[in-house]
Amino acid sequence: MSDLDRQIEQLRRCEPLKESEVKALCMKAMEILVEESNVQRVDAPVTICGDIHGQFYDMKELFKVGGNCPQTNYLFMGDFVDRGFYSVETFLLLLALKVRYPDRITLIRGNHESRQITQVYGFYDECVRKYGSVNVWRYCTDIFDYLSLSALIDQRIFCVHGGLSPHIKTLDQIRVIDRKQEVPHDGPMCDLLWSDPEDIDDWAISPRGAGYLFGGEVVSKFNRDNKIELICRAHQLVMEGYKWMFNSQLVTVWSAPNYCYRCGNVAAILELDEHLNKKFAVFEAAPQEERGLPSKKPAPDYFL
Amino acid sequence: MASNMVDEPLYPIAILIDELKNDDIQLRLNSIRRLTTIARALGEERTRKELIPFLSDCNDDDDEVLLAMAEELGNFIQYVGGIEHAHCLLPPLETLCAVEEPVVREKAVESLCKIGSQMKEQYVVDHFIPLTKRLGAGEWFTARVSSCGLFYVGYPSATDLLRADLRALYGQLCHDDMPMVRRAAAMNLGKFAATIDEPQYIKTEILTFFKDLTQDDQDSVRLLAVEGCAAIGKLLDRQDCVAHVLPVIVAFSQDKSWRVRFNVANQLYELCEAIGSELASDTSQYVRAALASNIMGLAPLLGKEVTIEQLLPIFLSLLKDEFPDVRLNIISKLDQVNQVIGIDLLSQSLLPAIVELAEDRHWRVRLAIIEYIPLLASQLGVEFFDDKLGSLCMSWLNDQVYSIREAATVNLKRLAEEFGPEWAQTHIVPQVLKLIDNNHYLYRMTVLFAISLLAPVVGSEVTCSVMLPAVISASKDRVPNIRFNVAKMLQNLVPILETSVVEQTIRPCLLELNEDPDADVRFFADQALQKCDQVISQRRAGGDHRMGGVDG
Repeated sequence: MSDLDRQIEQLRRCEPLKESEVKALCMKAMEILVEESNVQRVDAPVTICGDIHGQFYDMKELFKVGGNCPQTNYLFMGDFVDRGFYSVETFLLLLALKVRYPDRITLIRGNHESRQITQVYGFYDECVRKYGSVNVWRYCTDIFDYLSLSALIDQRIFCVHGGLSPHIKTLDQIRVIDRKQEVPHDGPMCDLLWSDPEDIDDWAISPRGAGYLFGGEVVSKFNRDNKIELICRAHQLVMEGYKWMFNSQLVTVWSAPNYCYRCGNVAAILELDEHLNKKFAVFEAAPQEERGLPSKKPAPDYFL
Repeated sequence: MASNMVDEPLYPIAILIDELKNDDIQLRLNSIRRLTTIARALGEERTRKELIPFLSDCNDDDDEVLLAMAEELGNFIQYVGGIEHAHCLLPPLETLCAVEEPVVREKAVESLCKIGSQMKEQYVVDHFIPLTKRLGAGEWFTARVSSCGLFYVGYPSATDLLRADLRALYGQLCHDDMPMVRRAAAMNLGKFAATIDEPQYIKTEILTFFKDLTQDDQDSVRLLAVEGCAAIGKLLDRQDCVAHVLPVIVAFSQDKSWRVRFNVANQLYELCEAIGSELASDTSQYVRAALASNIMGLAPLLGKEVTIEQLLPIFLSLLKDEFPDVRLNIISKLDQVNQVIGIDLLSQSLLPAIVELAEDRHWRVRLAIIEYIPLLASQLGVEFFDDKLGSLCMSWLNDQVYSIREAATVNLKRLAEEFGPEWAQTHIVPQVLKLIDNNHYLYRMTVLFAISLLAPVVGSEVTCSVMLPAVISASKDRVPNIRFNVAKMLQNLVPILETSVVEQTIRPCLLELNEDPDADVRFFADQALQKCDQVISQRRAGGDHRMGGVDG
């Protein structure tokens, strides 16, 4: 068994790696991710997942429902970290799987894969708590800069964490972005990770303070111009786990059940078979007995 | 005038007091029995200052005299000046609490409680509680035994700090070295607990004391703890009662001491009548879940008749509960019921409910049902199984949840082991192979898993003739995940297939996969090829060795 396989086994048990192992893993991941396009090509069949937010045991539940990697192919649409108790283990497991099976799993960037956001919403604190220094946080946030911004499945399904940008009319405009940087406060790269669909005609200011709200007409035109049939995105909590919008031209997939351990929502993954047939698998939070020891620390105040 | 009134009856009193010191026990006893008369004659103040201290020194007397004294003192408050002075009665009783004769001690405790419950709060704090603590920490076990019966009197008057002391002391008594002390602690726990109006301590400390006592080495201690079940149960909310007290009862009924079991059996029927009908319809899902996880354990203890009469209706109602955990808890313990109610009733009443749950929307419920199937199959027998459950087992292979499909393949393997290779060959293998045409890769993969699990059970002949061709043809699947799983499956099959099959069928297939455009397919094909080499070279070495042995 290789070191990497052993590390994957260890992470599957929710045991974090040593700092030196994290460093080595991130180096290898960088070599793989740097080759990926901003619009990473993905072949069906693949199972599409939304936000995880450090809810490790709920991600294990996801794999129980969807199948383990590499048996099942996965595309994770960002927001691996922050808010949950196990951002470190969650992200490192996904990253280790990426390094071990680069063709079986695709990771794209969410708005929480950012130095600035993780300092506010928990990942930074968790790294310091678990490792006693900021090094692991540095390695991970450096890797965030290399994550792809979007994916295109069989040329027909466009996957992105947040949504569209008024600056982007074509996929080629995404392809030319220099993504290896901290998520900017505005501009096309920021919008892809921050925008939300909304029942409006055109574009509107987002209440989030970053990205935009975009309407059905915008989606229709984007899909038509780029010859795609569906935009698949995450970024927003939906109580039923997934939500269709704009006459099935866009779907939100949310994969963190009982978000922040308190929202009471179910989660979903979208299973695409090799013919792009779609099937949602809905799942609930892992039962208490499947979780590790409950955290004795009170919930920090960045919980909703 | 007043002095005349008092003086006159003093003469016989002097005699009574003298008799208290007489050598003749009968005279002493007579005198004690007339203690109230003496006190009345002495007046309140002299009773307090002379009679009571005198009695405090009389603890060396015959048990019969001490018993009488202990009893008389319990009714003495009015003769020492009312409740304001009641505490002056404590010292003689405290002494009596430590004597060797249990009857005397019990009477002294009884009188102390009688007095303590009338005392004003401040006096309880100043006198009664310190007495309780002194006895509880007493050097002789007799004092500690007596103390157990006093806690409930003082506790309500105590300050928070004192209360914590008292609870801690009671905890010590529950773990005392002397079984007699632990028995007293067990006997009085319910009464003490009932005065604790802080639910958090009931749930933590008291419940711990209770559980520890129920697991005591001495059956005489456990015996007394059993009787406390109901008292403790009443103090807990229903959910905690079912979760914490019911398992204790179940454990008790398997106690190695027949005396304990007897005691439980005596109470069990009523207990379950009370628990079942009320709790199964409790409005809290958590109460119902706790009931579901504990009630199954009662079936083997109650026996067939009572189980059918009392428990079966509860099982059925809980199996249909809207809350998945309730259903789950019942299913996961069903095996405990099977043997009790017999196969006929099981198939008539429980099976329909089980079949319904096989399609439960909650996947963990379905998983629990699947894991129960092999056991059920072994009890139902092959014919009944084919009839009722066969198609169900196949349908799980198409479940949307990966874990269910995985469990379904393991289930098929267990069934094949239970009913034998021939049955598997006709009833399972063909149906499994049919599913390989599914147009979703995850479901085709399930078939491969099933094949690799079934192959060792059905044997190499069936594997080669029927299943291997399906695996080989899957190596041409358009989805790489299927192809690398073919490589993994072949790797598993190598050890159970003949060398010729490995060389002529498996190796060529793997060699082809080793040239696959997909890196993971090549990786797993390469691993499988290494396994081929390893197994075959071992076989050659083994064969050579045997040949050598014959030659030698």
